Amino acid sequence: MGKYFDKEKLELLKAQFDTAEYDAEQAEPAIYIGKEQLLGLMRVLRETPTYAFDRMSNLTAVDYKEYFEMVYSLYSRRFDMWITVKVKLDHDKPEVESMTQIWEGTNFEERETYDLMGINFIHHPDLRRILMPDNYDAHPLRKDFVPLEPKIEGGVLTWHKQKSMS
Amino acid sequence: MAQTEKYVLNMGPQHPSTHGVLQVQVELDGENIVGAKPIMGYLHRGIEKLMESRTYTQCVPYTDRLDYVSAMNNNLGFCMAVEKLASIEVPRRAEYIRVICAELNRIASHHVFIGSLTNDLGSATGMIYAFRDREKILDLFNIICGARMTAHYIRIGGVAADAQEEFLKGAQEFVNYVPAMLDEYDRIFTGNEIFQARMKGTSIITRETALKYSMSGPNIRASGVDYDIRKIDKYGAYGDFDFEIPLGEQGDNWDRYIVRLKEVQQSANIIQQALDNMPDGPVMAKVPKVLKPPKGDAYHRVENTRGELGFYIVSDGSTKPYRVHIRRPSFVNLQALDSMCQGMLLADAVTAFATIDPLMGEVDC
Repeated sequence: MGKYFDKEKLELLKAQFDTAEYDAEQAEPAIYIGKEQLLGLMRVLRETPTYAFDRMSNLTAVDYKEYFEMVYSLYSRRFDMWITVKVKLDHDKPEVESMTQIWEGTNFEERETYDLMGINFIHHPDLRRILMPDNYDAHPLRKDFVPLEPKIEGGVLTWHKQKSMS
Repeated sequence: MAQTEKYVLNMGPQHPSTHGVLQVQVELDGENIVGAKPIMGYLHRGIEKLMESRTYTQCVPYTDRLDYVSAMNNNLGFCMAVEKLASIEVPRRAEYIRVICAELNRIASHHVFIGSLTNDLGSATGMIYAFRDREKILDLFNIICGARMTAHYIRIGGVAADAQEEFLKGAQEFVNYVPAMLDEYDRIFTGNEIFQARMKGTSIITRETALKYSMSGPNIRASGVDYDIRKIDKYGAYGDFDFEIPLGEQGDNWDRYIVRLKEVQQSANIIQQALDNMPDGPVMAKVPKVLKPPKGDAYHRVENTRGELGFYIVSDGSTKPYRVHIRRPSFVNLQALDSMCQGMLLADAVTAFATIDPLMGEVDC
């Protein structure tokens, strides 16, 4: 993998965005940002000619039980350079701005994250389930997920919460 | 011109041209396609979730089932991500054997592409030729690890066992056979007038569209974007080899076919160099029996047959990964299906599905 975004530039970003933080001890620190400033930071990363992060290589979410964390791995083809951006989201109401506003190619990946992790992407053009059935009311990759029970009602496959064991 | 009412036609999930259980909702105006919406999930097994309840070593066979026609490349991607997370140094000989296997698998996967493409274009003969040659590679995999498709040969820290003389000899024989094989393909399909007429100028993906949809692999290279992770990241032993990256110009079906055909020759060149310079030594690093990578996360990407395959792994310090995310190239590539089908005839949609080369095991994960 190419070189990581250097710390001088990270310092610059930190000066520009007051919610930006990173762990200076790490060799390749991810930059944490408040979700309100995420879109602004991403625009800067993509549009500043000295950064030019033109590829959203990977986009996913992790469930840490108390909170969700969105993880974006950005790659700059011009400078062969990496950066990881992370955003912490509230566990009760996880929502974040959609990156399709900057990288159109994140459409399916955001739909997948919505489907499996239940993150709500604001301003996404077509936020629907992509892998699970449309009438499935749960998000499988969450840590508290309990599989739903399939049932056929009037010829239609429906999904129901399991009765509690107690 | 007479206008007809638009209607929606479902292709798949049981349509032979969709190569698996992909469903495409094609919106038609007469015979012309107005839009094509891919619908997936029929093969969703929840591999990411399954991995959370398996140890790292137990996760490796699941990666075989992602892109099941190029299993070695998936093993490689996952193992390298875990090695990065746990800071494991892989022996040189193992790296070389990995490259040989990954490239052989790339050729085998392109055989499936060429075979199914010719089959979709109405020439079942072509498929038999491609599958005959693919059989040679699968037999080699049978020698080296006892499995033909779901290899599980590349392990965390190296490879399962040293490559036998028989395998290395077989690989050399295959590399020697490649020019004759490609020559035969040129005579059978590439020069075929119908084959050319069906593919040239159809389903164009421009450079801009390819970049816009984060495409990768032969699909983006056919549109003229020089983007190959093997060359950019030089992961594993790829930095040691001299090879070219075939590029297309227009990004039509024809370019996507030609790029893959040329890649076969380049893969053969890499295998030749790896066989010539094969170092001696162990094939497995010292990996603890109970693997507990330190707390943290790692993202690693490799060039799969279909593009940029990435693994994002979060470790909580236990024996099992806390979270695994797989960035699957076919899944991301499918976003371009709509724009590449627009304005084409329905009959050409079949060619478009074939040349974008999605593999449902990987798309649905």
